[in-house]
Amino acid sequence: MRARSHLAPVLAALASGLLAGCYGSGELRIVLGDAPATPDDMPPGDTVAFQPPPFTLRRLQAPQYRRAVDALLGPEAAAAASPPEDAAVNGFKAIGNAQLSVSTAMTLAYESSAGAAADAAMAPERRAFLVGCEPSDACLRSFVARFGRRAFRRALSEEEVAAWTTTGLDAAATMGDFWAGAGAVVAGMLQSPNFLYLVEVGAPDPDRLGRWALTGPELASRMSFFLTGGPPPDALLDAAEAGELGSDQGRRRWAWRLVLGDGARGALRGFWEEHLGLDALSTLAKDPAAYPGFSPALAADMREETLAFADDVVWEEDLDARELFRARFTFASPALADLYEVERPAGGFGRVALPPGGMRGGLLGQASFLSLRAHEAQTSPTRRGLFVRERLLCEPVNQPPAQVGITLPPPEEGAVTMRDRLAAHRADPTCAGCHGMMDGIGLGLEGFDGIGRFRTLDQGVEIDPASELDGKPFAGAAELGEVLADDPRVMRCLQRNLFRAAVGHVETQGEAWPMFRIEEAFAASGYRLRSLLVEIAASEAFRSGAPPEVTP
Amino acid sequence: MSLVRRFRLSRRDVLRGAGALVALPALEAMLGSDGTAYADGTPLPLRFGIFFFGNGVIRARWVPAEVGAAWSLSEEMSPLANVKDFLNVASGREIKVPDLRGHHNGAAAILSATPFIPLPPNGAPYSSKFGGPSIDQVAADRIGLTTPIKSLQLAVSKRPEKDQGPTVQFVSHRGPDAPQFPEVNPAALFTRLFGSGAAADPRTRARLGALDAVREDARRLQARLGAADRARLDAHLTAISEVRREIIATAPAAGGACVVPPVPAETNADANGVEPLQSVTRAMADLLALAWACDLTRVMTFQHHGATSSTVFASEGQTTAEHLLTHDMNTQVQVHDAVMATMRNCAYLLERLAATPEGTGNLLDRSCVLITSDVCEGLYHSGTDYPLVVAGRAGGALKSPGVHVRSTTSENTSDVLLSCLQSVGTGLTSVGGGTAASSTPCSGILS
Repeated sequence: MRARSHLAPVLAALASGLLAGCYGSGELRIVLGDAPATPDDMPPGDTVAFQPPPFTLRRLQAPQYRRAVDALLGPEAAAAASPPEDAAVNGFKAIGNAQLSVSTAMTLAYESSAGAAADAAMAPERRAFLVGCEPSDACLRSFVARFGRRAFRRALSEEEVAAWTTTGLDAAATMGDFWAGAGAVVAGMLQSPNFLYLVEVGAPDPDRLGRWALTGPELASRMSFFLTGGPPPDALLDAAEAGELGSDQGRRRWAWRLVLGDGARGALRGFWEEHLGLDALSTLAKDPAAYPGFSPALAADMREETLAFADDVVWEEDLDARELFRARFTFASPALADLYEVERPAGGFGRVALPPGGMRGGLLGQASFLSLRAHEAQTSPTRRGLFVRERLLCEPVNQPPAQVGITLPPPEEGAVTMRDRLAAHRADPTCAGCHGMMDGIGLGLEGFDGIGRFRTLDQGVEIDPASELDGKPFAGAAELGEVLADDPRVMRCLQRNLFRAAVGHVETQGEAWPMFRIEEAFAASGYRLRSLLVEIAASEAFRSGAPPEVTP
Repeated sequence: MSLVRRFRLSRRDVLRGAGALVALPALEAMLGSDGTAYADGTPLPLRFGIFFFGNGVIRARWVPAEVGAAWSLSEEMSPLANVKDFLNVASGREIKVPDLRGHHNGAAAILSATPFIPLPPNGAPYSSKFGGPSIDQVAADRIGLTTPIKSLQLAVSKRPEKDQGPTVQFVSHRGPDAPQFPEVNPAALFTRLFGSGAAADPRTRARLGALDAVREDARRLQARLGAADRARLDAHLTAISEVRREIIATAPAAGGACVVPPVPAETNADANGVEPLQSVTRAMADLLALAWACDLTRVMTFQHHGATSSTVFASEGQTTAEHLLTHDMNTQVQVHDAVMATMRNCAYLLERLAATPEGTGNLLDRSCVLITSDVCEGLYHSGTDYPLVVAGRAGGALKSPGVHVRSTTSENTSDVLLSCLQSVGTGLTSVGGGTAASSTPCSGILS
């Protein structure tokens, strides 16, 4: 196994990039001109360029669990299911669910959820169709094998079929009821780690010495939950078992099929909700004195605006993803249209044009972002800037160290506008390092109040929205959107975030090479997000892992 | 002399695990003549709890003026007046961990006596984890083994910080990757404590059979996994065993102070974006007192509001999240109001325990409840002079009437944690890890 010497400086640059700055930007781009053009140019066994981390069990997130129950047992059972809440690590529940173990309370929740789902599935009007045969021991056994394959997303071993059949027969005998036996199988399988986790063990990759790859069914599950939010359809599982995902072409074909099928839109909505923090809109509170126009209903409109806007860019029009930041249109309810001071859309909720030359445009001109990244009674340039740094540029900013006050001078001491107050703050060299990364971005958005309404005055003084992002001047969300759209970090960061949500870990230096390949393909597609989804799902990084430390 | 009905699992029942249904005839025993033990000589249980509130206090209004036995309640402790004899106060202490990130340092050190683990940033949003188990879990491993529920996690505010990893989101942790999710809904808590009646339900055997099959599946799967994933499934298997234990053991209870309450109406739903903090606290406290009276569990955490949470104290006329208020010099009066509201809720819990008879005394006589926060003062994230109140007599192990012990040498907060653990009969001689560890209890509060 030989190292490729020309990659050494790349890795060194990566390492230093990870440590630079206030927290560092974690640059992943390979900039050397002599990098091989395609992975096929790289010799087999090259483990310096590409060293994926090991596979880990990843528990299904609550929406994925519900989708899986729906696919297995139908909507009544899915409605009865009540999986526990998940916790995020490094920005994503997918990462939390790949690291954190279940607590007792969560396991109790899974137990009662499985029981309720099984009861719903075994309702007299539904159970015969689900089980598919006349009650008998042989029928139960065939049900175990058939249902188990869909629940575990792989074929069961003989041993597993026998064990679960015994469980079902025991329960049937105890309850004196065949259907109760089938129900016990369903309830049990919905609590099995084979259902609750994406079990990703992998096997040695025949094409790459020293690397492991997901098996066909494992890859089918990973692709399907990423691209559709739900378990693999039967056809995909069949195809995976037949080896269709063993080739780049086969993976790509299936990825496109999933992206263009039902479910992809909902799955991507789930990503936006988490990445943009839209979930928090359902509990967002504002000071009624400061923002009398705010209401939970308006917050719900804000969420729908952003999701409908993203849907439009990706699915309705298949636009360049950079339009997410610079588009001069959005979606609005009548209340939002009033907030934005644009004409109400026909038909209640719909697309509206934003005035050319105005300050509003793209995601950062939307009330969801402007409200979420503000305080209850005032704006927060710092929070808005932090979001841009952390979520859109992938440049985390450190929190102030202990013993540091974060006090803004009160208005009566002469500093009137938020800009004045923060300027006093940024003059302190202890604060300036990190606040310099954040505040400037947010000050350029001061023309929007804490719920996203356009304003010209702050405390009665005219707002100066002129600002800059790393030397690029802008004033307002529309211009900031143009700056972001032209900044290569932004599309790269979006890719990285999608990848994290897809695989359940923060990309590592060892994955720099396939990440670079994905980025190239994304750019070549004209930054079409659908292509990015496919490129991630079909990539080497998506299917590969390090050998486990203990092989079976 | 009261009749007390106890719910206990023998060690054998717990260890047997997969066995047949354990009948639960809940031992009915007369108390011994001194009221501190059952007639068979088994001592009444000791319990441990943590009442946690985020973002600290106003130090000048928190620390009592006098030290020793003749101390008076400070302004911010004044809501606790009715249980003052049960209180020991430790002040002047600091967390012994590197100053890396305000609320994270503090939450982990004050709850686990161990430095936290910052995750490498790598261009992702910041997250951190606990470095070791929180002390409620340390206690549960020693005094939580014979009750149906090993430990109970409760939370009032539903707005903890969820974007910075488990350290600030959760109070209770079994380890870095094992935060214990709290129950926020009193009605759901009721179901867990009293709602099952499982032993009498013919379906229970089928439920247990399904769990047994799950356990077999997990073990088969473990054989295919690497060490890290095997450990995660071990945690899952442990949780399954504990679920089994709850299904088997939870039963309608009666006797003495142990009664089955009506289902609480409170579900912790917001009204116009306002959290019902007081109502939820009271419903939770009522249920917790019964859970202890019925010996359903002996260990609990009570997260009133989390570190860096966005909890708003609407009851105090506030419309801004308390965490933000703490970081503004001009709104410290409102922070004080929030601390007062929190302590009023804390008082309700403590008074509820004190009002629940057990033997010749009450539940607080045989409990230790640590009351603390992740920082001293939110304004500066200060790590010195932590708020530390130890409530309860712990069966006589803690001084009563209590004292105010002030450290003049910034001693380790973990000493107080160790004293708490010792007071409830864990037999521990040290707690925590790294620079924060302690093997020197705060002897001033021990009797």
